[in-house]
Amino acid sequence: MRTYAEGLVLAVVSLVAIWGAWQVPAASPGDTWAGIVPFAASVALLGLSGLLLVGASSQVGDVATARADSGATVQIIVLFIIALIYQQSFRWFGYLLPTAIVAPIVLYMFGVRSWIGLAVSVVICPLVFHLIFFVLLGVFPPYGEVFDLLSWIQG
Amino acid sequence: MEIFPALLSVITDPMLLFAIVLAAAVGMIVGATPGLTASAAIAMLLPITFYMSPLFALAFLYVIGKSGRYGGSIAAILFNTPGTAASAATQIDGYPLARAGKAGKAMKVATISSVIGDLMGDILLVVGVGFIAAIALKLGPPETFAIYFAAFVVIGSVIGKSIVKGLASALLGILVAMVGLDPISSEERYTFGSFDLSNGIGLVPLMIGVFVLGEVFAQLEERRKATGETKENESSADGNDLTWEEYKPCLPHAVRGGFIGAGIGLLPGLGSAIAAFISYGEGKRRAKNPEQWGNGALEGVAAPEAANNAVSGPSMAPLLTLGIPGSTIGAILLGVFLIHGIQVGPTLFLTDKELVYKLFACGMLGIFAYGLIGYFGATQVARLILKIPTNVLYPLIFMTAFVAAYSARGSMFDVTVMTCAGFVGWLMRKYDFNIAAFVISFVLAKGAEETFRQSLLMSDGGALIFVERPIALAFLILGAGAIAFRIRGIMKERKLAQGGLGDA
Repeated sequence: MRTYAEGLVLAVVSLVAIWGAWQVPAASPGDTWAGIVPFAASVALLGLSGLLLVGASSQVGDVATARADSGATVQIIVLFIIALIYQQSFRWFGYLLPTAIVAPIVLYMFGVRSWIGLAVSVVICPLVFHLIFFVLLGVFPPYGEVFDLLSWIQG
Repeated sequence: MEIFPALLSVITDPMLLFAIVLAAAVGMIVGATPGLTASAAIAMLLPITFYMSPLFALAFLYVIGKSGRYGGSIAAILFNTPGTAASAATQIDGYPLARAGKAGKAMKVATISSVIGDLMGDILLVVGVGFIAAIALKLGPPETFAIYFAAFVVIGSVIGKSIVKGLASALLGILVAMVGLDPISSEERYTFGSFDLSNGIGLVPLMIGVFVLGEVFAQLEERRKATGETKENESSADGNDLTWEEYKPCLPHAVRGGFIGAGIGLLPGLGSAIAAFISYGEGKRRAKNPEQWGNGALEGVAAPEAANNAVSGPSMAPLLTLGIPGSTIGAILLGVFLIHGIQVGPTLFLTDKELVYKLFACGMLGIFAYGLIGYFGATQVARLILKIPTNVLYPLIFMTAFVAAYSARGSMFDVTVMTCAGFVGWLMRKYDFNIAAFVISFVLAKGAEETFRQSLLMSDGGALIFVERPIALAFLILGAGAIAFRIRGIMKERKLAQGGLGDA
């Protein structure tokens, strides 16, 4: 079942890639088509996905392992969603505020249960990262379009 | 003999020396920490090197890579968990030695053998790289494309559990590299109307995502699965000292391992794990005490350790002379060269020869640095690692990944790319796809495409140009041969397994 799913996902990816390569306009005379390498690579990928699907028919699924994995998978998907929201919130609220909120959440997910530790991380994490990257290395911090804590602190 | 003035120049630069020693210590700690890899550390530190001089940046990351390979042996010996894939072979004899109270002895053998192997690899690199570069200068686009093709196929098919998934990973890397404007005709590819995508996918966010964030996801999964406790090792007073009489039988294994590793290092993609296992197998075959191997033989630590470290130097040869990275660390270093505006390839030895030899000199000094730190301080490093609270470490790495990805170009799109690459990296790990093949192919794809299309233009669109040129044909056959060799190996393993079941 797992190999079937892998083969199907690869097949879908390769079909999208073939369609994408097909959108590249034809080459001008005397030139090579810009879509030749993406097209060739995606066709080869489609072939490999076919091989995976053929191989899947001779395998037996392991239901017990799949059940054991699902708990961890859910936690990782939750962390991925947090990561997506975190990176998007840089655009809305700058760096400091999202980091202050995300730091204790991720620490909690990794098993930190000390409330003092979590509270300290709210201040320490954004402060330390800000000092290292935006002060010492001189990187220009992302500006929050809705509310920017750094601008508010700096007045 | 450009290496001697380069060595003198590096030795007289205290800041560079400090960076080398620091990198040796950082690499060792990272390599010895289970779950952390030198690739992840280098990817994470990559944005910081934007603010350094090219030599400083390259030397710092190169020595972390070297030292990280060695550091893996500490975790393998002490915790029965290889810090890196390359040190899995060291674990076979290293851990039984630690259980018998000889952890210090085993770590000293690992250190000396790593230094011997690594130095052998570097000397071969220094001696041979000029010749390879001179030959590479004479290669035309068809030959270069054939080398790229062989690299894709070898990387995709030789590493990992499945040939199909390995090759699929390499193709996915190529497809991701195609996103953006075509460098020749400026036509948009896979941009789907997005302005951000028209600039292409950045190497730095992709690396940070796959190696750093992907690893954090994987560690979260491991934490849920991890059960059981680590057994306390025995300890004895004479278990930490190593005498010449004890190391003497290890020396031939270390030297042989050095040659095996250096040879394998020249071939892109094979990597140090394969070198270590081949060296271990070859050492056991030739050993006077094969029955002791696997139960705590010091020679069983020396052979794989020398081999896996000897890969480091020669794997730089295809990178520097052809622009083909042989490992993930090589792929990241290629990124550093490009970030600092240095074109890697045969012309590098005409334009930046001094820099290249200074980098080699830094590598050699890095070997001595990690050798000294390891010989006298490996036990302390191990104690330090035991004190690192992983439940705090990984959340910190999680947050560093975001700010590091942003720092590279000050681009929020890069942070999005990094986040998605992290999830894809975890999925690839989980479903046994080949991350190394994915990343290396991503790096190689642009060069391969350029040489492929140049060849087609040379031949007026005829693909026979690749067959008509003997060197190109030889590399195409090498690629096909690699797949055939691997398929034969897998069939053999299956036959053996079926035989085993039949006997039962």
